[in-house]
Amino acid sequence: VTLLLPWSPPVQKRYRPPAILWIAAATFVLFLFLVPRFGTLGNIENVLRSAAILGIVSCGQAIVIILGGIEFSFGASAALASVLIVMALPETGVPLAFAAGMLGVVAIGMANGFAIAKFRISPVIVTLGTLMMASGSAAWLAGGMPIDAPMSDVFSWPSRGRVGGVPVPIILAAVAFLLLHLLLAHTRLGRLWYLVGANPIAARLAGLRVVWTLFGGYAVAGLFCALGAVILTSRVGSGQPALAPNLAFETIAACAIGGLPLSGGRGRVSQVVCGVLVVAMLNNAVVLLNLPAADQLIVMGLLVVSAVLLQRDWNFITRFVPEGKRPR
Amino acid sequence: MKASLGRFLVAPLCIVVAATTFAALAPDFVSGGNLGSIAGQMWVLVLLAVGQMFAIASRGFDISVGVTAALASTVAAIAANQFGLWALLAAPLVGIACGAVNGWLIGRLGLQPIVATLGMLIAAKGLALLISANGQAIPLSDANMAARLAFDAVFGLPPLGWLALLCVVAAHGILRHAAIGRRILMLGSNPDAIGLVGADAGGLQIRAYQLCGLFAGFAGMLMTARAGAGLPTEGFGMELQSIAAAVIGGTALSGGLANVWAVLAGATFIQVVLTGLNLAGVSPFLAQIVVGAVIVGSGLIDAGLHAVLTTIQKSKTSLQRTKGTPL
Repeated sequence: VTLLLPWSPPVQKRYRPPAILWIAAATFVLFLFLVPRFGTLGNIENVLRSAAILGIVSCGQAIVIILGGIEFSFGASAALASVLIVMALPETGVPLAFAAGMLGVVAIGMANGFAIAKFRISPVIVTLGTLMMASGSAAWLAGGMPIDAPMSDVFSWPSRGRVGGVPVPIILAAVAFLLLHLLLAHTRLGRLWYLVGANPIAARLAGLRVVWTLFGGYAVAGLFCALGAVILTSRVGSGQPALAPNLAFETIAACAIGGLPLSGGRGRVSQVVCGVLVVAMLNNAVVLLNLPAADQLIVMGLLVVSAVLLQRDWNFITRFVPEGKRPR
Repeated sequence: MKASLGRFLVAPLCIVVAATTFAALAPDFVSGGNLGSIAGQMWVLVLLAVGQMFAIASRGFDISVGVTAALASTVAAIAANQFGLWALLAAPLVGIACGAVNGWLIGRLGLQPIVATLGMLIAAKGLALLISANGQAIPLSDANMAARLAFDAVFGLPPLGWLALLCVVAAHGILRHAAIGRRILMLGSNPDAIGLVGADAGGLQIRAYQLCGLFAGFAGMLMTARAGAGLPTEGFGMELQSIAAAVIGGTALSGGLANVWAVLAGATFIQVVLTGLNLAGVSPFLAQIVVGAVIVGSGLIDAGLHAVLTTIQKSKTSLQRTKGTPL
């Protein structure tokens, strides 16, 4: 393995791990020393559990960002899903209720995709609009208050179950990441996402079906978010109109920290994984250090900005490297 | 210029339609008291929308305006309790500072507006919580005076309403008649060309976001005076409404086209919808759904106008080409 220091000669045609991997590793080591009880096995499982939900939803966000868009409605649609699931629960049984909730999220994703692809409305406007509509619908359906779900083993399996000793959410997250990798690297649709994200006009002139590609991307993104919403609902055990209000921001932060350019057209699963881990470790450290939530927000904001500055192939750091030693 | 006139007429038209509908649904809507309450309430949104307009006109946007207003409101309340009520003027300064940071990140470091302002949104939210004992409202010690400034009408509007109106007029002056406003519009309509004519594109972006922050700060000041307290957790959702108001007011999301009076009308429209739904006895949650639909609708109008205008322009140029061909 070549040491990828900023002033090492450029490595051609060799796998180059994303810059964020070093940041994630450094964060981990730093927290091991600085944060008491961070390194215990139980806590690391905790980190991974919270990273799992964030990671699954971030898979959806990553697709949208590769497409050159952005998705703000995830948190609200997860809340709507939780309300739908708990309301459907007494009548349909657990699996169908989960399916109903997931259907709701996918429907919102498809609506977003339709408006963005067909009418060419800015993704920011569309998803902010559906954010308000979804959170309004969730609060309206639930009457503004959380609804308790009747607990059962099946209902809590997605969040609390274990298969072979490994918690189910972590397995699901691993499956989601694998799925995203296969989609992005090995399917026609996934490759089209990169092309459309990199340059939609060129893609249209090349005869690609831009509308379908965009629509498919937002729909699949909705599917990932739906999976995350099910685990989240199962964890809190109730239908909450105010569930995870920061989910969309956290997923955008995770992707941005991972180094996905928000202009679209680039990005790998490994980057998303690292970004998610950094955000999850940070959230966990803030809790362990007993810092106020305010500090967490400030650090997160700074991290988003600084990580995006770092992402551009270390361009930012190279400013501090003497003139003659900079990589070309 | 003529082709762009149509887009600025959308917002007044929307107001007429909405007002007629609500007048039919709820007879109280046209009462003087209600119209007065709309005229008193709308200024926070108007100021945020006018600020947002500067950011959008420069081909960016600022999703941190709501939080900036909340942070400004908190700081202003603390300052006013310390030094007296005039220190509420700290709010615009906080706004300018937040805007300057946004602008610096975007204009000098080349971050995308969404990343920079998202970072600001998260960080400013945290900062507001930090200085206010975890989100508790900070009551003004001189709340009576503040309430008089915010509510007691002098010549039809409360003093702070007049101040807000003055800000809007000033915004019009900046956008239409000052070099900085013309250049921000130029930057928005063609970011590549602005550098070629010798203007500093990054500096202009900083100015645009500073203006945006300044108006958000004034909005925060107004919020403080109206509530009689600094509100660290208020303002979430306002950024969405401000973007919607600016876009309904004909500001092109692709930059370069903006009109302050149309934005004023756009913000009024949203306030009319909110108040009207409230009077018609609609649940606030349903009202939220309607506002969401209005936001998407505004995007649809923007996209539609853009498509129509490009078609007209294309047919014109192709016509000229056929005329101009020597064959």
